[in-house]
Amino acid sequence: MMGELVFRNLLHRPIRTFIGVVAIGFEVMLIVFIVGLTSGLLAETAKRIEGVGADIMLQPSSAGVLIGMSNAPMPIKIRDRLAELQYVQSVAPVLLQFNSSGGVELVYGIDKTFDEVSGGFVFLQGRGLEGPDDLLMDDLAAKSKSSRVGQKFRLFNHDWNVVGIVEHGKGSRIFVPLATLQDLSGSTDKASLFFIKCTRPEHTEDVMAEMRAILPNYTVRAVKEYVSLMTSTNIPGLNVFVDAMISLAVCIGLLVIFLTMYTTVIERTRDIGVLKSLGANSPFIVRALLFESAALCLFGIIAGVGLSYAARASFLKVFPTLSILITPEWVLRAGGIALFGAILGTIYPAWIASRRDAVEALTFD
Amino acid sequence: MAIAATIPSAQFGGLRPAESQGLVNKSVEPILKTENLWKLYRAGKVEVPALRGVNFAVQPGESVAVMGPSGCGKSTLLYVIGGLASASRGTVLVDGNDLAEMSDAERTKLRRSKIGFVFQRFNLLPTMTAKGNIAIAQYIHGDGFDPHRFAVVTKLLGLEGRLNHKPSEMSGGEQQRVAIARAIINEPKILLADEPTGNLDTKNSDVVLEMLHQLNKELGQTIVMITHNPEAVTYFDRVVHMRDGVIVDGIPAD
Repeated sequence: MMGELVFRNLLHRPIRTFIGVVAIGFEVMLIVFIVGLTSGLLAETAKRIEGVGADIMLQPSSAGVLIGMSNAPMPIKIRDRLAELQYVQSVAPVLLQFNSSGGVELVYGIDKTFDEVSGGFVFLQGRGLEGPDDLLMDDLAAKSKSSRVGQKFRLFNHDWNVVGIVEHGKGSRIFVPLATLQDLSGSTDKASLFFIKCTRPEHTEDVMAEMRAILPNYTVRAVKEYVSLMTSTNIPGLNVFVDAMISLAVCIGLLVIFLTMYTTVIERTRDIGVLKSLGANSPFIVRALLFESAALCLFGIIAGVGLSYAARASFLKVFPTLSILITPEWVLRAGGIALFGAILGTIYPAWIASRRDAVEALTFD
Repeated sequence: MAIAATIPSAQFGGLRPAESQGLVNKSVEPILKTENLWKLYRAGKVEVPALRGVNFAVQPGESVAVMGPSGCGKSTLLYVIGGLASASRGTVLVDGNDLAEMSDAERTKLRRSKIGFVFQRFNLLPTMTAKGNIAIAQYIHGDGFDPHRFAVVTKLLGLEGRLNHKPSEMSGGEQQRVAIARAIINEPKILLADEPTGNLDTKNSDVVLEMLHQLNKELGQTIVMITHNPEAVTYFDRVVHMRDGVIVDGIPAD
């Protein structure tokens, strides 16, 4: 009976119900999408770093988890010292450079040692870097930029020749010769990052200990550790941003539900009086409104999940290099957050309704 | 045509047996009694008395019409004896329970089990069908949906063909019959009707009054009805007149 009452009340004002459902849907979508975007980007970045195939990373002392944020290049001569260490198979210096033109991406300046560490690229088209103006792209970047082998590509105010399209998953999406990038960025004989491959993975700890001994002011991290650190909580400000977005979404949902249920209570004042005349007590009135709010929220959550997938599909169509991770865990969390907001937004209107004088309610016009 | 009048009394089977078959047993305790009942409303800083020491008693199975000019306190009396409003002073005994001593929650509980309301403006839930409007009273009562009793009551009130219609799809007379069905579905001790024919044309008024009369005579349903309609009083055992918040007389209708 309560279900019928709630269902019919929701159907009675279809536009209001629709707006409520859409608002909750946007709330859920906002949470799922923002979290999916940040965690997707982090997971994808971690996966690509892992895909390089190195065991250890060496960064400047002040380097954070986001490797592109470090602009304190190290002397490239460090490579020689690292290469001399026991159990070190190969060392690849990389100069990182942000490109914000035509999208935000981290460009890797590499030399031949990158192939020694990574085992070489899988070429889908073309060949490797040979000339000073050669440029490699991974397949996703090539698709998003509509680039093909043989075409020119302008980057950092420099014209590059696209000489190869490689399979994605090894560090960056765009690779250029280390020396050229050093010249262009005024970082001659400098590197932002060293990838170190050990002769055997089990030697990683030994090599790291030696590295710390000879380079005490640098950040030495195992790649596995780095991958585990790629979460929003370890990225400065990201967690705050995600929390702020979630709070914003909750506020939107709460206010919409509050307004919806408040107008519902005002509109149904006489009905509340009728229910009271039939002997309905305050808990019954509160329960009816909470159920209605929860039902509205449930439809909103379903709509929100649908909207999240639709938004992801739209974004990936426009930005194929993006990674948006929609996980069941966060869908459930977003649903829970939306439900909590809905219940919170209903408490006051429900309290008002339950306290309403029956006689006044019955004579309400 | 008076619909209820055409229904054989055998069709009331399943409802509470008639206690008095229309005969008021004055030897038993009144089912409803007020003593020196006052109700004061606050208008700003001024207290306005709506009831000024009402003394009123209704026997089980009795039907009483309350008449009087607008603003004399009839509806207030009905709301107070129905437990919808609290008394400011005095005693209100419903089936031996003093409403004046009860909290709002206790009055609600008593109302749920002992009192049925019928209003002038029908006051059906607009989102629910006729069936839903009647069934929700059973649901609130706490016994759940009783299909047998539901069938008996809806047949009694001639609603079988209208159960899936919403109030907006029914005539005023039909709506009021749904409201009566809702009021009696839980077999209340007292049926309180606040000008139930006030929004009806003559034909539908007669139908509703005849039904109330049948409920009283066939089932012994105690009824207190407020009305402005002088013709309506012929259906009742007794007429009570109110003026300025007090009962000014009490005379047999016949």
